[in-house]
Formats: sequence, C-alpha cells, structure tokens
Amino acid sequence: MGNFAQLVILGLLAGGVYVAVGVGFGLVWGVLNIVNLAHGALVIVGGYITWQLFTAYHLDPFLTLPIDAVILFALGYVIQRGVINRVIRAPLLFTFLLTFGINLIVINVLLLIFKSDFRSVTPSYSGSGIEIGPLVIPYTRLAALAVALLLAAGLAFLLNRTRTGLAIQAVGADRDAAQLVGIDLRHTYALTFAIGAACAGVAGGLISLIQAITPTAGEPYTLQAFVVVILGGLGRVSATVLGGLLFGLIEVFAQSIPGSGSVYANAIAFGLLVLVLVVRPQGLIGRLR
Amino acid sequence: MAGPAAAALLELSNVTKRFGGVAALDGVTFSAAKGEILGIIGPNGAGKTTLLNCISGVYRLDGGDIRWQGASIAGMAPHRVARLGIGRTFQVVKPFQSMTVRENAAIGALFGSTEAHLPPRQAFERADEVLELVGLAHKSALPVTALTIPDRKRLEVARAVATNPRLLLLDEVMAGLNHVEIDEALEMVRAVHATGVTIVLIEHVMRVIVGVCDRAIVLHFGQVLAEGEPSKVLRDERVIEAYLGERYARQQRGG
Amino acid sequence: MTGFRSLPDRAGQRWRRIFLVLGAVVLVYALAAPLTSLDAAQSAGLPLLADKLWFRIATIIAMFVVMASAWNIIGGLTGYAAFGNVAFFGIGAYTCGMLVARAHWPLFLALTVAPAAAAAFAALIGVPLLRLRGHYFAVASLGVSVAVGEVIQNLEMGSKPVFGGASGLFLPIFRSDYRDLLFFYLMVAAGALTVGITWWVLRSRFGYGLIAIRENEEAASVMGVNTTAYKVAAFALSAALTGLAGGIFAQWNVFINQENVFPIEYNIQMILMALVGGAGTLFGPVAGAVALQLLIQFLSGSLPISADLPFVPADARPIVAQVILGLLLVVTVVFVPRGVIDFFGGQSRFSLSFLRRSLRETSV
Repeated sequence: MGNFAQLVILGLLAGGVYVAVGVGFGLVWGVLNIVNLAHGALVIVGGYITWQLFTAYHLDPFLTLPIDAVILFALGYVIQRGVINRVIRAPLLFTFLLTFGINLIVINVLLLIFKSDFRSVTPSYSGSGIEIGPLVIPYTRLAALAVALLLAAGLAFLLNRTRTGLAIQAVGADRDAAQLVGIDLRHTYALTFAIGAACAGVAGGLISLIQAITPTAGEPYTLQAFVVVILGGLGRVSATVLGGLLFGLIEVFAQSIPGSGSVYANAIAFGLLVLVLVVRPQGLIGRLR
Repeated sequence: MAGPAAAALLELSNVTKRFGGVAALDGVTFSAAKGEILGIIGPNGAGKTTLLNCISGVYRLDGGDIRWQGASIAGMAPHRVARLGIGRTFQVVKPFQSMTVRENAAIGALFGSTEAHLPPRQAFERADEVLELVGLAHKSALPVTALTIPDRKRLEVARAVATNPRLLLLDEVMAGLNHVEIDEALEMVRAVHATGVTIVLIEHVMRVIVGVCDRAIVLHFGQVLAEGEPSKVLRDERVIEAYLGERYARQQRGG
Repeated sequence: MTGFRSLPDRAGQRWRRIFLVLGAVVLVYALAAPLTSLDAAQSAGLPLLADKLWFRIATIIAMFVVMASAWNIIGGLTGYAAFGNVAFFGIGAYTCGMLVARAHWPLFLALTVAPAAAAAFAALIGVPLLRLRGHYFAVASLGVSVAVGEVIQNLEMGSKPVFGGASGLFLPIFRSDYRDLLFFYLMVAAGALTVGITWWVLRSRFGYGLIAIRENEEAASVMGVNTTAYKVAAFALSAALTGLAGGIFAQWNVFINQENVFPIEYNIQMILMALVGGAGTLFGPVAGAVALQLLIQFLSGSLPISADLPFVPADARPIVAQVILGLLLVVTVVFVPRGVIDFFGGQSRFSLSFLRRSLRETSV
C-alpha cells in the first residue's frame, strides 16, 4: 500500500466532512443568494446537541443525527422567516452583516451554556477501525463519509423529485415567476434555509465524532464551505460533493508536503479559492449564474 | 485601404461573435461615413445590441476586425474606445442611480473622449449645455429616480453626448415611446447630429429610420441582409417577407 | 458646483446641522483634553481630563475612525464589499514592527513604509480580486485576510519564525515623557489625513469615477472610466490608510501577534461603523466609529461609566456583551437598512413611516 493511496483515503475521509458542511451552505447560497456566515455556528450547534445527548443520555451519536436535523430545521425556519426574510431584497452587504450578527449571537450563547472547554464525543467503538496496511481507518470516520454522501443524495432527491424541492428550485431560478405560479415565497425561503440548517446540524453531529468542539470551532467551516461550493460550482448538489471530496484531497496532500504542516490550512484554501475564481468562476461542473 | 470612402469613420469587416455554439454576429461588414446618420434595424435577436457591444469594447470579437479611422480597435477595453471618441447609450438604461440628472451628464464630460475629459467645474458647465441640447435642462437638479422613461432615455443620450464623441451609438432610444415622444426624440437626434456628430442608431421604429437616417442596414440572424437608402431598404421584398414579417407587409399594402 | 449628496430635504438638513455641531463639540473636547495631562497644565492646577484609560479608549476610537473611513473609500464610494481590510492593518503593523524592532529604523520613517507595503499588497491582490463581484469579492477578500494572518504567524526560514511566530513580535518601547499623548495625537492625525483624503477624493475626477463604478460599472466604462485602474487605486488607497493605523498601533501597543492585528471581527466592525454612520459620506464613518466603539467599550465594561447588566455574573459579561452586539447588528440591519445611513447623509427623514417603507422594500 503506497503512500499515495493512503493520502487518497485520508483525503476522501476528510472530504466527507466538507461535503456535509458544504451541501447546506450551497443550497442556501444558490436559492436565497445568501452567503450564510452563521453556517459554521449552526454546524457547531448540531455538534453540541449530539454531545449533550451522548453525555447525558448515552445515546449513540449516529442516532442523534436525525435529532440534530430536526432541531436545526426548526431553528433555521424561525431565523429565516423571522429575520432574514425581512432584508432578503436589501443589498448584499446587509445580508452579510445580518448573518454575521446571527453568527455572533449563536456562538456567544453557546459560550454561555457550554463554556469554552473542548468537548468530544467518544463512543465505545471510537478507537477501533479497519486496518489497511499501516493505516487504521476509524469506523467513525468511514461512517461519517457514508452519512455525508447519503445526506447529499437525500438532498438531491428532495430537490429534484419532490414537489417541495421543485418549488425551492423554481424560487431559486426566478423569484417573481415562482410567485406567479402560486408558490408561497416566504414559506419556501424559510423551508430552504431550514433544510440548509438541518444539513448543518447533521454535519455538526459528524464533526463532534471526529474532533473536539468548542463554540468557536465552526468558524473555519463557514469559509471552507464557501470554498467547497465555489470549487464544485454553485447550483448543484453533485458539484458540491465533488468540491468537498476534492477539497479534502487537496488539504491532505498539501499538508503532507514537508515543512508546510497543517498551519497553512486557510492559506491553502484561499489560495485555491482565488485561483478557481479567476480561472474558472463557474466551478468545476457548476452553472454560471 | 479598402473601403467605400476615405471619409469612413468606422469600418467593420467580417465581425463575428459567438455565444456557446450560437453565432450572434456572423461576418458582419459595413462602414459608417463621417457625418451620416446610419440606421441599423432587425428583429429581436438579430444581433443589434451585440453589435454595439462589440464596437464599444464590452464584448471581445471571435473574428473579424473593427477599424476606427483606419486603425484597429478590436479587443480594446471600453474606456479606451470611449476615449477615442465613440460614445454609446444602453437599450436598458443604466443611469448612475444615486446621482442627479446633472451629475449623470457630468460624468460623461469628466471622462469621455480625450477632447472631453474636463476638470469637475467645467464638466458641470458642459453637462448644463448638453442637458439643454436634449431638453432636460429644467430637470437637471432632480434625482434620476424621479425621471420618466422617455426622460431616462434622453439622459442616456445626454451622458453619451457629454463625452464629446465623434461617433454616437444609440441603442433603441425610442423604443417604448409614444408618437409625440418619438417626434421629440427625433428632434433631439437631429440637434445632436447638427453639432457635427456621426450617428449610428439601432431602431425598431420604422418611422425613425425613414425620418432621420441617411442609410439603413438590415441585420438578420447576425448577418447583413440589405443595405441602402432607408425607404428603398424597407420596400425591399426580401426584407419585408423574410424579416419584417407578414404584418408589416400587410400594413405597407394597406397604407 | 454640486457634490454627490446633493438632495437634502429640510428635516434632513436640520438633523445634519445638529449632528455637525455636536460632532464639533466632541472633537474640540477630545483634542483639548489630553493637554491637561501635560506637566505645565497640572502644575497650573487644571483638572486632569485625560487619564491612562481615557487615552487608551480615545486612541482606539481614533484608530477605528481611520479604519472605517479607509474602508469607506473602497466599500462606500466604489461599492466593493471588502471584508478583509484587516489584512492591511496587520501588514502595516508587522511592517512597522519588523522595521523598528529588527532593522532599528526610527518610528517615523517606518510609518512611511508601512502604508506603502499595505498598498503594494492591495494592488497585487486587487488585480485578480477586483474582477470578482458581489459575494465572490467579499468572501475572497475575507479569505485573504485570514490567510495573510496565518502566513505571517507561521512563516519560517531555517526553522526560525520570520515574524516572531506564534509568540508575537515585541517592539522597543518608544521613549517619550508623553507617550500616551503622542500616540493619541498620532492616531488622530492619521484620522484627519484619512478624512482629508476622502474629502479630496469626493471632489476629484477620481472620486466621481469611483462613484460611477459603484452605481453602474458597465456604464462607467463606456463613459471612459478606466474601471480596473480606478478600483485597484481605491483599494490600494484604502489599504495604505489602514496600514498606517496598523503601523501606529504596533508601536503604541509594543506587542503584536496574529490575534491583535488580524482579528476577523475588525473586518465586520469597520463596515458596520461606516454603514451606521453613512457609507459614501465624508463624516458618516467617523460618526459611526465613535458611536459604535464607545458602545463596544461600554458593553465590555471598559468605560468608567458602566451599568451592571441584571442577572449577569461578572465573568459572563464580555460574552453577554457580544450577544448584545450581535442582536444590535441584527436589529440595525433588519430595521434600518437605509434609515440610519440617509439620516446622517442628510438625505431623508428620520421617521417611523420611512423605516416601515424601507422594511417593505427589502422584505419578501
């Protein structure tokens, strides 16, 4: 088993998390035209729900994922319907600042409740895994990748095969035309954001299994979600999956370069971002908007 | 140098522009002589606006060449084209929203062709002259958001004229206007032309073409279908049938 | 000749006048108060109006006046939502820090190079970044600021950190009997310079070009505005002034690291200040910076006049302050997308019906 193959496996596993974080972010961006700076914070809310259920009720972390999704769905619906809907037609700067404000509130409420200590979720099986050559792949990470891909597939199914999904797509394509054919705009917007938040919740549950979390641990994920969505291309779930996996691979390979270490994660991400934006603004397989 | 006349200001030869697989302009060749008013007509999607975008540097050509007083300007950035003395308006008006009418016109005079490019104080004086010319002087202090559609189109023209162009490209400045408004707009075009500016105008309204143009070109599917004196071009069988359609043909016969 | 904010109504005018008078009074007080700390003033028995805390807060406010006004040039005038201006603050700080601490340059010489370094960096990244629009430019600039901070902290040469690494960079203390006073006035001078330059820009062909770009970039370009050059120049100018503030901060604070010169929240704060006060106006960002920074200091309990928040234990106070800031941000953005701005811009009424109308315009 070569070094290269190991890096590929590690990269895909890392990419799973980015897929999970990216799909919800991409949905909200593509349909609502909002870059949700609170996405990472919502992800971490999901992480804390899983942690709380695991430590207080000894629930299996994977079983908590649907609960994460439901709670964040509700939270997301309320945020969009109550707040963001009111400025959705304002210039970009305002929705940007608004979601940053929500981010600030969520993070600091988490700090009040959970303090800034590192929390991790360690079920009995968290130490075991499959041995491939010198490499031990934890079951949790494999399962996380599987869940992330399932999540993406579920979202794609929802968007392309259900009434609700088609309404969401119609609203994303043309707000006014969608309204003319009888789609309830406010509800559909709220629903879209809620689904995005639910995806974030699931992603957070997965992340709590992989790394120790703090209230601020979600911040890098917002920026990374942005890069992932750009990399794949805005407007398609499959593009985000590709972008997420690719981003994981790039990160793992870049970190394996001797000397660079893991300290340049953001620099690499944004170097890549600028490169993609300048060379191929529509992403790898995205549609230009 | 090849070309119809030594006085040709603008020459297009084989200009081609593709979007994806579709050729919006497919080998367009014509020239505009100094001092004339040239009309370009054609149905929706014939490539008229694309043509203006190619001339003014908003689009890059996929083939052919555009020459300005003999020198190629293909691939030049829009601001450099403007500095040579080619002004234009937009079919969908693009005013500077937060500014007054006067300020909008002043932007043209502040930048524009090398003959324009005035310092702020003179630019505002020039703006006043231009607004007088297009008939907006009494509204110069209003915010552009307070203007009616015909007035916004006038402002488009004022801004372009303020750049002190030698050639003015007008993109459907009369579309959507009623009869009285069209007459006023025709007055405006004649007034601008009288200051010595060569004009290429894109129009839908036939009355405009016959009313002010010295010459007309018919674009169809990105190609030049006919060219000549406006009234003759409009009577051309091919033009009426293949392009202007059944309705115009009926109209012509009826009245 | 008319300026670009030339459509005042009477109510707006009156508010504007009140606001200007109020501002002038605050300014005179702020400029005069430090003088009471001079030995001569003290021996003459004048009351001490400016103690250490006063200097600290006033200098920070002046620093944000520079940052918000500098952001205004690219964000308010040119209309490009730059979310990464803190990168220039940090670059200015580290340039000054390295020159003073490592190359032993005199401070004032270093302070001329810091803005130049920030501007050069802005011009370099501006060429590709300013081709992007909307969200893309915003997030890409945000990313650059994060990445620059990371690189500066981690860059090593021969396994030795180039810029002091994670433990930061210490500058030799600037020797002066009136250190606090000096740095306060230095920061105020930077603020005055920024406002002065903005004043000039607003009147120049350059400024008219920037506003034309903000209003409609395509129309601006066919009018003959060299949009790329103008945008890059505006970005570099904004960066230079922000870098100057960073340079002064480095020597004032003596210690710099990634955390105190590349904080992401500065990005948001300077934008919010400019927006609340009035983006695109001359004094708007100044007023926004003063008001918001005072509020931030008040909430975090650094002001001498501080009200206790009910039900909040002392140690949770800074966190609750952040929550309040967040709520304030949300409320500001939701209810007054245009209200506050136009109010200070002297452009429109400050009334409930106006707020209701603007809310209707932006919501679905």
